[in-house]
Amino acid sequence: MAIIAGLSLGAIFVVCAGGVLFSAVLGRKHIPAVLAIAGAFSAILMALTSAAVLLAHQAFEVGLWILDGFGRFTIHLDPLSSIFLFASGVVYFSISLFVGSFLRNQGDDAHPTLHFSILYFALMAAVVLILVAGDTVLFLISWECMSILCFLLINYDPRGQSDKSAGYIMLAMSEAGFLAVAVAFLLLARSAADLSFASLRSASGSLSPQALWLTFLLGFFGFGVKAGLVPVNFWLPRSYTAAPPVFVPVFAGITLNLGFYGILRLNADLMHAGFGTGLLALITGSVTALVGILYATTDGDMKTMLAHSSIENAGIIVAAVGAFLVFRALDQPVAAALAVSAALYHMANHSVYKTLLFEGAGHVEAATDTRDMDRLGGLARVLPGLSAIFLVGCLAISAVPPFNGFVSEWMTLQALLRSAILASTSVRIVFALCGAALALTAALAVTCFVKVYAMNFLGIRRGTWEPQARTQAMSKFPLAILAVVCLLLGILPTYVLPILSESVEPLAGASVTTALVQPFFTATPQNAQLPAAFLQDFHNLGAQTGKGFVPGRGLVVLLRGLEANPVVFAMSPSYSVVALALLLVVTWFVVTRLTKRRTLARRPLWAGGIPRLLPLMTYTGTGFSNPVRVVFQAIFRPNITEDTRQTVAVHFRTAIHRQREETHVVDRLLLKPIGAAVQWLAAFLAGMHHGRLNAYIAYVLAFLLLVLFFYRGG
Amino acid sequence: MSFWFWHGLRKGVQSTRYPARAENTPGVSPGRPVNTDFSSAEEARRAAAICPTDAIIAHGKSTYINHGKCVHCQLCLRSLPSPMNWEPGYEWTRLPSNRAESLPLPSAFAKSMHIMVVDAGDCGACLRELKQLNNPLYNMHRLGFFLTATPRAADLLLVVGPVSENMRGPLLKTWEAMPTSRKVMAVGACAISGGVFGKSFMCACGVSSVLPVDFEVPGNPPPPLAILHGLLVVAGRKSVGPVQESPKGDTAPWR
Repeated sequence: MAIIAGLSLGAIFVVCAGGVLFSAVLGRKHIPAVLAIAGAFSAILMALTSAAVLLAHQAFEVGLWILDGFGRFTIHLDPLSSIFLFASGVVYFSISLFVGSFLRNQGDDAHPTLHFSILYFALMAAVVLILVAGDTVLFLISWECMSILCFLLINYDPRGQSDKSAGYIMLAMSEAGFLAVAVAFLLLARSAADLSFASLRSASGSLSPQALWLTFLLGFFGFGVKAGLVPVNFWLPRSYTAAPPVFVPVFAGITLNLGFYGILRLNADLMHAGFGTGLLALITGSVTALVGILYATTDGDMKTMLAHSSIENAGIIVAAVGAFLVFRALDQPVAAALAVSAALYHMANHSVYKTLLFEGAGHVEAATDTRDMDRLGGLARVLPGLSAIFLVGCLAISAVPPFNGFVSEWMTLQALLRSAILASTSVRIVFALCGAALALTAALAVTCFVKVYAMNFLGIRRGTWEPQARTQAMSKFPLAILAVVCLLLGILPTYVLPILSESVEPLAGASVTTALVQPFFTATPQNAQLPAAFLQDFHNLGAQTGKGFVPGRGLVVLLRGLEANPVVFAMSPSYSVVALALLLVVTWFVVTRLTKRRTLARRPLWAGGIPRLLPLMTYTGTGFSNPVRVVFQAIFRPNITEDTRQTVAVHFRTAIHRQREETHVVDRLLLKPIGAAVQWLAAFLAGMHHGRLNAYIAYVLAFLLLVLFFYRGG
Repeated sequence: MSFWFWHGLRKGVQSTRYPARAENTPGVSPGRPVNTDFSSAEEARRAAAICPTDAIIAHGKSTYINHGKCVHCQLCLRSLPSPMNWEPGYEWTRLPSNRAESLPLPSAFAKSMHIMVVDAGDCGACLRELKQLNNPLYNMHRLGFFLTATPRAADLLLVVGPVSENMRGPLLKTWEAMPTSRKVMAVGACAISGGVFGKSFMCACGVSSVLPVDFEVPGNPPPPLAILHGLLVVAGRKSVGPVQESPKGDTAPWR
């Protein structure tokens, strides 16, 4: 297994290099095909590498060359990085095919240059290197490469039209984050023998609580920038919106995950972050989720809105990580395992459905030349296939069973509810409030994606765009793969959890498989974990349906409690999807039987009897989300200007022009005060530059005296 | 602290018992003139001449009333030496002149009928009488009649007003949007004959020039009980009133 892992890991880099080579040799015309084939191939290799590690139940480690002063470069692939690598592999497979087919559809003039190909494959290699890095130096170098490549790809614009500021904001934030991360690792490395993760891990036990807090804060800031946490996420919606449509899925599905990987690697694996840090992560995550979904619900631009939704999902994941840290610090291994597996599950789910949605948004933009949801509409008739696949993505992200979002959000909320086992009342209150914020987030997410689907695909066409059904059947294939993955992750949690358990067990100290996936299929009557009476009860409920011909431990996710409360929670998406399908079939039969004798009459749309229903009169996304805007006005603080044009008298209005401006709450509360403070300081210091030569000479003299004063001894 | 339930219990049921029992409270209906036989042809001509809406036609010594035009102005009752006969009551619903018979809605709708009201240029009087049906005294919900805002769910199209040119299209659209068991009821003299507006380039002179009307409720405005009678007729729980005699001897109501 180690040989397979090593070979395929090496092969990833070879294929990436080969992709660049073929792009250069075959010429511009064939670059989409090279991107698709080489990209998909190395994505498969990524999945293969991680699968080999996960199946072998042991980490894959290999030492590379020694760099003077930095120690040995090591590659270390443990179950935690394998989970991330596997998710990246699945997502990259779809993205590579999407990039190829999308660019092909765009026509010859939009074909990418060799430049794009190099950046694309280099980013792929950098992502893999971050995930497999076994020492600080390799990790930081590849992290820095990743940041710079992201910046270059955002600004990749062969026509040179786009605004470059978004890219620079992102680069500045990434670099600040990188510095913080570097300092965090150096703090950890102060007492370690060398810079490899293994020695950092063993040295972190001796750190003082203050040093642990400082390391946590620096790392949380640095990785939080990449993960899009409040308040350092202001770059995220801007750069997602500015990035080319072929590249946004990489952002949402791949590089966002690296932030979670960093947070987990640093705080859960390398050091045992304490109880307070966990609470901080939990609160930050919940606030991020709420702020993210509020702006997602009210934003009218499809890409920006999906970016805000990514922030929301990042918040949910980090909240689960925070809950995990608290549970682990308070010695609750089962609850900790539940929380961290919810975080990993949600991470995988988010990268799958968000990639799907961004790819769909790219196709919509290509077909209509607009992203404004107030101008789109009626796309279900123009692009029926894309509409169906996009609907799967919307259902999954709204946490509607039987799709994957439901399982992980449900597990996250259950993990927060497990705070009932904690002793401290104040901690329980914090958990309850964060759980309430996440529940509100989940509800708003449904509103948000009802809006996205309904406003883009249903109703009538509202804009002036002409529908161009340019997308070929082939180009929907990468999206369809992800839709299927959404469904599989949603209905087979009892097969996914044992895989996650591999990486959860070393972190949390308890197996999530034993805790959650009860062996209904494999249990014998003498099993200590499942008493006979308990088993009989659940047998009567149908929990053993399929025993014998369905592999695995069972199809029910169930957490057992104490005597008084034997079942803490239980669910089975696998059985429910069968039940739902049966209900659907039965309903269909009943309805068709009952309405057999009815005739169907089609009449024109009823629009209140007005002479002509103009597209602009129909319900818009802005109108749909207005209740949210009104309820949360305290957060949005809009700036509304109204300009009324009137003739004759006050009552005869010819036009009302209403303009509404919003500053993002983070910009308003964080960036503006900082900007104002810097400007004030600059204005204060500028007072020195009044142009009098004598004074300048006095400054020089004073500075000289100061220097002499400090170096008087030496 | 509000004691509305106590007040309600103390007051008891105030709603009218109609249609189970006749409602005879003074003032529930303005009444209307009916065909009258005078002692001389001169008196009949004077009666016809005093009518401002030409609702009275003299034929020999007799006068005939076209209730589709009458506005209850009471000139023929108060300003004539020998007045017209005047009838109280409110069960006035009738068939349009171009129809020999109209079927009510199928029996499934008898206790549950949804009504779509279209104001086709109404002056407001008929609408105000219609609104009374929602108040506790008439309370049409006790009979299973409900107003609805969408034609998709409506069984009866109730039109008030003479159908102005701007409302012709919306009225037709509403009718087209209704399920096909629909009935159309014209309420008020304007909706029946154009009333005081008459025919003009902006006015269609009644609903029947736009849509096939099934039942008519004369009156200007008809009192609430007359409209309620109309609804009961559409629901098949009452029958249309006696056919008016017309001057030529045929029994169809004429305009």
